[in-house]
Amino acid sequence: MSKDIIRYDMEEYIEYMRDESRITGKADSISFPTNEAELKRVLEKLAESTEAITIQGARTGLTGGAVPMQGHVINLSKMNRITGLRFDSDKDCYFLRVEPGVLLSEVNTAISKLEFDTSAWSAESLEALKLLKASKSRFFSPDPTETSATIGGMVSCNASGAKSFKYGATRNHIESLRIVLADGDTISLKRGRERIAGGILRLTTQGGREICEKLDVYNMPHVKNASGYYLERDMDAIDLFVGSEGTLGITVEAEIALIPKPGCIYGVMAFFPDQEKAIDFVESAKVLESKPAAIEFFNCMALELIRANMYRGHLPDIQRVDPVCHTGIYAELHSIDEDTGKSMLKALSALIEGCGGNLAETWLAISKHDMERLKEFRHAVPEFVNSIIDDRRKSEPTLTKLGTDMAVPDGLLRDVMRMYDEGIQNAGLESVIFGHIGDNHLHVNILPRSMTEYDLGKKLYGEWAQAVAGMGGTVSAEHGIGKFKVAMLRKMYSQDALDSMMKIKKIFDPGNRLNRGNLFG
Amino acid sequence: MAKILVFDEKCVGCGKCINVCPFNAISLENKKAVIGDACVMCGACERNCPFGAIKIERMQGYEQDISLYRDVWVFAEQRGGETAGVAFELLGAARRLADRLGESVAAVLIGDGVSEQAKELIAYGADVVYVIEGNDYENFSDELYANACIKLVEEHKPSIFLLGATAYGRSLAPRISSSLETGLTADCTVLDIDRESGMFVQTRPAFGGNIMASIVCPARRPQMATVRPRVMKKPEPDLGRSGSIVKFAPVIEMSPKAKLLERIQEESFGVSLADAEVIVAAGRGISDQKNLALVEELARLLNGAVGASRPIVDSGWIDHSHQVGQTGRTVAPKLYIAAGISGAVQHVAGMSSSDFIVAINKDKDAPIFKIANLGIIGDAAEIIRELIAQLKSS
Amino acid sequence: MNIVVCVKQVPDTSEVKLDKKTNTIIREGVESIINPYDSYALEEGVRLKEKLGGRVSLLSMGIPAVKGMLKEAMAAGADEAFLLSDRRFAGADSLATAYSLYLGVKKIKDYDLIICGKQAIDGDTAQVGPSLAQKLGIPHVSYVISILEASAKKLKVKRLVDDAYEIIEVELPALITVEKGINIPRFPSLEGFFRAEAENVTIWGADDVKADMKHIGLEGSATWVLRTFAPSYEKSVNMIGGSPKEQAREAIAALVDAGFIESGREGE
Repeated sequence: MSKDIIRYDMEEYIEYMRDESRITGKADSISFPTNEAELKRVLEKLAESTEAITIQGARTGLTGGAVPMQGHVINLSKMNRITGLRFDSDKDCYFLRVEPGVLLSEVNTAISKLEFDTSAWSAESLEALKLLKASKSRFFSPDPTETSATIGGMVSCNASGAKSFKYGATRNHIESLRIVLADGDTISLKRGRERIAGGILRLTTQGGREICEKLDVYNMPHVKNASGYYLERDMDAIDLFVGSEGTLGITVEAEIALIPKPGCIYGVMAFFPDQEKAIDFVESAKVLESKPAAIEFFNCMALELIRANMYRGHLPDIQRVDPVCHTGIYAELHSIDEDTGKSMLKALSALIEGCGGNLAETWLAISKHDMERLKEFRHAVPEFVNSIIDDRRKSEPTLTKLGTDMAVPDGLLRDVMRMYDEGIQNAGLESVIFGHIGDNHLHVNILPRSMTEYDLGKKLYGEWAQAVAGMGGTVSAEHGIGKFKVAMLRKMYSQDALDSMMKIKKIFDPGNRLNRGNLFG
Repeated sequence: MAKILVFDEKCVGCGKCINVCPFNAISLENKKAVIGDACVMCGACERNCPFGAIKIERMQGYEQDISLYRDVWVFAEQRGGETAGVAFELLGAARRLADRLGESVAAVLIGDGVSEQAKELIAYGADVVYVIEGNDYENFSDELYANACIKLVEEHKPSIFLLGATAYGRSLAPRISSSLETGLTADCTVLDIDRESGMFVQTRPAFGGNIMASIVCPARRPQMATVRPRVMKKPEPDLGRSGSIVKFAPVIEMSPKAKLLERIQEESFGVSLADAEVIVAAGRGISDQKNLALVEELARLLNGAVGASRPIVDSGWIDHSHQVGQTGRTVAPKLYIAAGISGAVQHVAGMSSSDFIVAINKDKDAPIFKIANLGIIGDAAEIIRELIAQLKSS
Repeated sequence: MNIVVCVKQVPDTSEVKLDKKTNTIIREGVESIINPYDSYALEEGVRLKEKLGGRVSLLSMGIPAVKGMLKEAMAAGADEAFLLSDRRFAGADSLATAYSLYLGVKKIKDYDLIICGKQAIDGDTAQVGPSLAQKLGIPHVSYVISILEASAKKLKVKRLVDDAYEIIEVELPALITVEKGINIPRFPSLEGFFRAEAENVTIWGADDVKADMKHIGLEGSATWVLRTFAPSYEKSVNMIGGSPKEQAREAIAALVDAGFIESGREGE
């Protein structure tokens, strides 16, 4: 039995040596536990050795977090059940209990159709489901583009998407976690229960070990952030584990919050005659009384990319929009009902016109079908970038795209955008810029045409990381550090801060076994 | 005017009607069923009420002496100087129906220089062939052919009139039925005479293929239906059969306002889906648009055509002309290979008549396996690669 | 050019499910959408208007709630909307529907071209367009995939039939039915949205269009549904296991057996 659970025929598992960062790692063995007990058995088997253990979900990460460098791989994709539902009347919130391998797309479909496999659910869960079916619609708001990501993965890197501008990243929506440590011990964390107070972390593991540690609190950048451990003097301990990239423990169960779905949703795609006016619009939209749920940016090169590559059929027709250097802004409006929605739309329209946008050329998505089309339009930019790079790799196999994930504090948006534009222009590189401009978080994708351009791009990227860190920003706003941005993390935090993080790591994983290479190298 | 009534004294408020109403038109008020504005009188509640508390009073709008109408007709569509295959299939079905009714079968042949086709039609089962000939009829014309058929029907009064659900047939039939104020049922998969009532029952898929509906046209004649090619079986011709040829020259006082300027047989059609004996169809499960090249190669090796499910057409991976399904083409090849297709009812509705179905899908619970002869659980692109490699190496 | 675009609201048939016990469609939670083919019809109409001037009028038959769909269509470029709504129109088959729409078109009066989607995705009959043309005594062209030339007097169109394309010239007034892919339907614009908000959808009852009650609704229908049932397929599938190589090998062997491939083509 124990022989079966750990597999050594690694030739069969080559695809598990990769994630979406496209670099291939290596490992000596792999296991696919189907429940917590099996997971603990695996850890027991590995207890004598000191080898590294890499934890994987769906391997959709972009920074190598799930790529093993050596040792054993624990893949959690078979722990994929939705195990229960709970209604908390004080918080007026439903909490869905899931295993780490459940996909985001599965959660979304189950909640929208209210169809679950309840065969193993408790009576309480069934009661809660009855309540949910009778009440207004709910949804799980973190919306990273890659819906085939696992919830466990989302917890690991504090994933976020367009709607996180209004609703926050994954961390805001985790109510409880059950974590297995490298030594097989378990921690149970619930929001509001286990705390870090005055910098002192206090919690007891299931095995009876009492942890009481004074942590050196460091400053985190005041931006949307997914770099390094989340730490404040006074906070819920659960928040430390969200975004810890699997370096502290293995999530085996999570409770995710289901919040009320807006009664009325509009998608607005506006085009502006130049970038400055578009940013004017964004800055005013952010401070509207009823601010949008999401604000997304597409620079003129991104729109050109769609124009040049779109095919007949499903995508909205950008050929109809005047190609004079346009910058695109997508704003999504969530409201409680249609009347409120319409007045939000009026307010937004006034802003659009005031910033040089033309209402006759501003798209409005109302039906679910049109919202889907608009979503595909937005996702077309990164997809086309990937296709173009894949094509270029045919003649230059070591080529990859260079994508940034940096965010800066409010007030510095124009500065950072000027820096990106000047840098790219001076280096003569091909690029597109798009992203969550509401959070001052833009993705610059450089599309190198040769290894020389690739090197130039990489150099630029390093310079930007330094500058952004200097502005008090972050080098990874949503993708995480993984293995590839370790050097960037060191640019962002002082040595003291990094030492403090290492200390936290030692508390939970003194043998540095879990996800070795992530965050700290 | 037609009415729907709820008999309060019979209604116990069980709510069964509410559950079966496809239009959410029923609610309970004071424990009695109340029918709302959304009602379209489909009759589901009437049929399902355990207490007989709902009744639809149907009153037929206009009268017609249906006893004057006899015989089963088939429109013998012409294509490229030949009778389209579907016409022979329909003659087979017509024969079956006519035999049950104790009536005759006739074919309607319209064109220029087509009288030689008449003998073939007799061999396939027509007792009479009505021939409408002339230069004007050289090319298919909705208006002209419709008017000619209308005059012929008014003269000879068939009880049933069948047409192939081809592009021409589906365009022509409603002009005829609309003018004659009679019923037309499209894309029938089963045609039958009901044993008890003697009614002509036409069965077809609806709601994107999610449901089958059996339709009747009790009070109007002729009862018209279209049937897709390859749904009915082509009978064996009997060259010794005899029948009569009747020339008909309708006086038509109109000239058609739609003119065919040019016909383009596109090369890109390759083996046309409609005629293909082998189809290799791709769905989302092939993972990437690039893998269509593999699908095309497999199709080429098997001398087949390439088909597609709606999701990949919608995503722009392949042109709409390859789409198989309720909103695409209905096909009935000998061999259908469904690669990476889940088997949603809308797709299945377009290919379920295939003789032999091979399904390749990663998901063991994919509904496509319910209708397949051969099932392979695996990655579609990978399996196709293997099939190509092995077919080539021999 | 004055254009009438016929639009229908339908359930999203990709989402409906069958209740196996009652053999009827479960509509609960299924969204009502504009018939996808009609979106293409609307877009084509708006493009013609932009090119030649004139007006696009929407015509629909349905329940009062269809107003919302019509407003959205106006925001995408239609100038006005007419909704035939009356309990007496209910239960109509394609014959009675064509008659009702015929009454609507007659009341709109001035039209050069009627554009319909090829078929509605709930009924799937593709009959209403040609039936309507016959009642109006105008020519029709089905399956149009491209309008090549358009003028006040005629259209030159390309259409897709079973195995070929045909170029057809048709004199106006005429009716065309359009295929998906004829264009890319535009989104409503914000400007269009606010304009549509200010417009009214005109609702016509059976009396407003002087309907002959014998020819509308259930009464005017020549066909009735006798019964509905779930599609059933009786097949037992032979599942092939093993590695991809083995699966391919076995599949080819089965196909050779069944005569789809000449033997001697096996990989062994």
